[in-house]
Amino acid sequence: MEKKSIMKKITGSREALLLVVLILLCAAVSLRSPSFLSVQSIMEMLKNNAVTMIMSLGMLCVMLVGGIDISIMSTLAFAGMSVGMLLKYGHVSSTLLCFLIAMGIGIICGFLVGLVISRAAVPPIIATMGFMYIYRALAYLVGNSEWAGADALGSFKDFALGSILGLNNVIWVTIICYVIFFFFMKWTRTGRKIYAVGSNPSAAEVSGINVKNIKLLVYSIMGFLGGLGGALAVSIYASAQPNMQYGKEMDVIAACVIGGVSMSGGRGTVIGALLGSLILSVIAKALPIIGFESIYQNTIKGVIILVVVVVNVVMQRASDKNNLKGREM
Amino acid sequence: MAGKSGRSISATPENTLKKTIFSWEGVLVILFIAVNIFCMTISDVYNLKNVLREMPKYLAEIFLLLPMAFILVLGEIDISVGSIVCLSATVSCMVCNKGIPFICVILVGILVGTACGMVNGAILTKFDELPPMIVTLATQIIFRGIAEIALGSGGSVSLSNADGFRAIAGRVGIVPYIFFLVIIFAVIAAVILGKTTFGRRVYAMGTNRLTAYYSGVHVKKIRFLIYTVMGALAGICALFMVSSSYGANTTTGSGFEMDAIAMAVFGGISSTGGKGNLAGGIISAFIIVCLRIGLGQVNMNPQLILLILGVLLICAVALPNVIAEIKNARKVASRK
Repeated sequence: MEKKSIMKKITGSREALLLVVLILLCAAVSLRSPSFLSVQSIMEMLKNNAVTMIMSLGMLCVMLVGGIDISIMSTLAFAGMSVGMLLKYGHVSSTLLCFLIAMGIGIICGFLVGLVISRAAVPPIIATMGFMYIYRALAYLVGNSEWAGADALGSFKDFALGSILGLNNVIWVTIICYVIFFFFMKWTRTGRKIYAVGSNPSAAEVSGINVKNIKLLVYSIMGFLGGLGGALAVSIYASAQPNMQYGKEMDVIAACVIGGVSMSGGRGTVIGALLGSLILSVIAKALPIIGFESIYQNTIKGVIILVVVVVNVVMQRASDKNNLKGREM
Repeated sequence: MAGKSGRSISATPENTLKKTIFSWEGVLVILFIAVNIFCMTISDVYNLKNVLREMPKYLAEIFLLLPMAFILVLGEIDISVGSIVCLSATVSCMVCNKGIPFICVILVGILVGTACGMVNGAILTKFDELPPMIVTLATQIIFRGIAEIALGSGGSVSLSNADGFRAIAGRVGIVPYIFFLVIIFAVIAAVILGKTTFGRRVYAMGTNRLTAYYSGVHVKKIRFLIYTVMGALAGICALFMVSSSYGANTTTGSGFEMDAIAMAVFGGISSTGGKGNLAGGIISAFIIVCLRIGLGQVNMNPQLILLILGVLLICAVALPNVIAEIKNARKVASRK
């Protein structure tokens, strides 16, 4: 095997390409407005997009096994509302306990989704669509047409304001999640099993992997992150409302798709998910700076997703053609 | 169907009474009657007249169900229709406010929808490696984004002259026009899917697209056509949405794609492709409409209604699978 040139490595690896795009994007925006790359502005951006960034890790796992989960933001709302209501009526006051409760609710929600998908063989899009209705409804029912404002949340909202070693707590949580997942997906047995199930379920089954349990695990992870996201969202925005993050599941999916996670499973990395969600958040932050009103934001976001997936296909076709050429010689 | 032996290409269906009742459509008809009896017992204003009066705002979604059934039979999905409804409703409201003859407003509404559908179809046939879910996710964001730009900072538009839209919301006796239109479209769609060569080709593509391609089906043409029709019917749906709300805003039609998919799946159309028929989809649509009207009449929390629909949807798909699995396990056990 001959060594690949650096140029080829960059064009060959999806992550490197994304990194180049991200750097170019940041450079272009900071030319226009130098304050964009200040530490404070970056921290603000990371904090505001922490929920999407954390959830895209779970979506990465789900999409790796060839599934999809559109119920996540309902799980988030359900967990967040439960915590908000518990705080409002003074049943709990400890921040740690709140996080544990939210994550517990998230795991249960995700486990149910996984059970329906893995054991009853319901297609993921249908099952999660049903649970999207159910959990969102539960969020409304828990709230009983009330919502928890900043003063009801007490010391819980201070979590998102506090910082350790100069970094906001929320950003720490995001970093810890990414580090754990990086090692989990790359070097643990379970992580590799997830990739195996995604690339070829029957081969994985034959080689002794319990495909059903892996699927159950993946959706439980997603639910866990949904619960964590719920607690974080309540803390960051200092309010718990039943309609929080409505429709944002598409952002999470978009982040994964931009990051090169394949919808058919088996392809995608933690770094890719990170870069995908970073690119999305940079774009969202940059548009107002370069003079687009916020109403243009969605259109541009959609066009970018479309362009990314189409470019991906065109590049794939070109490389397939090249490979064929090599064989003919 | 496909996959088991591959030899029995067209098994002749047996039309026995038992089979009819125990087919999924039979179960749905029984469920439809049960839902109606249930609604009548819980609400004393649940009668034909009231149901028909409240129906129009729910019926518009059935226009989306019909082409969605075709797309699901193809084994694909279109989650952009809600946004197409939004864009089409916005544009037709704005055009109507300019004082153009109403027939042109209708044409514009349908044309906008058709154009959106063509965009979906063109991208999906040009780059057929792309999963429809991703493409329509992007166009979902784009179409609603365009509507947001058109609506400006206010985020909504209301009709200044609603005469034309009031006319299409009219009724014959107690039956609204839209009811007849839905029935006509449903019959046409059901016949096309169930009885024509075109319909059989759609099933063939849903079962195995590559095989269909090699046996001479114009895969690209059919996919493009179906996505375009999806857009056109979303345009019609948008017109009726405007006629019931006299305006449009950025949330018009949000979640409609999910409702349409839920109706189809509840009616036994498999989202993995090649299975199900429109009769089931239409009956299940009416079950959901009746349930919503009945529960709405007793002032049930709308969120609770959604919860019930979610549970029904999951059960409708999960139960047959679970039963089949149990039967299979028994068979294996008895063989031992």
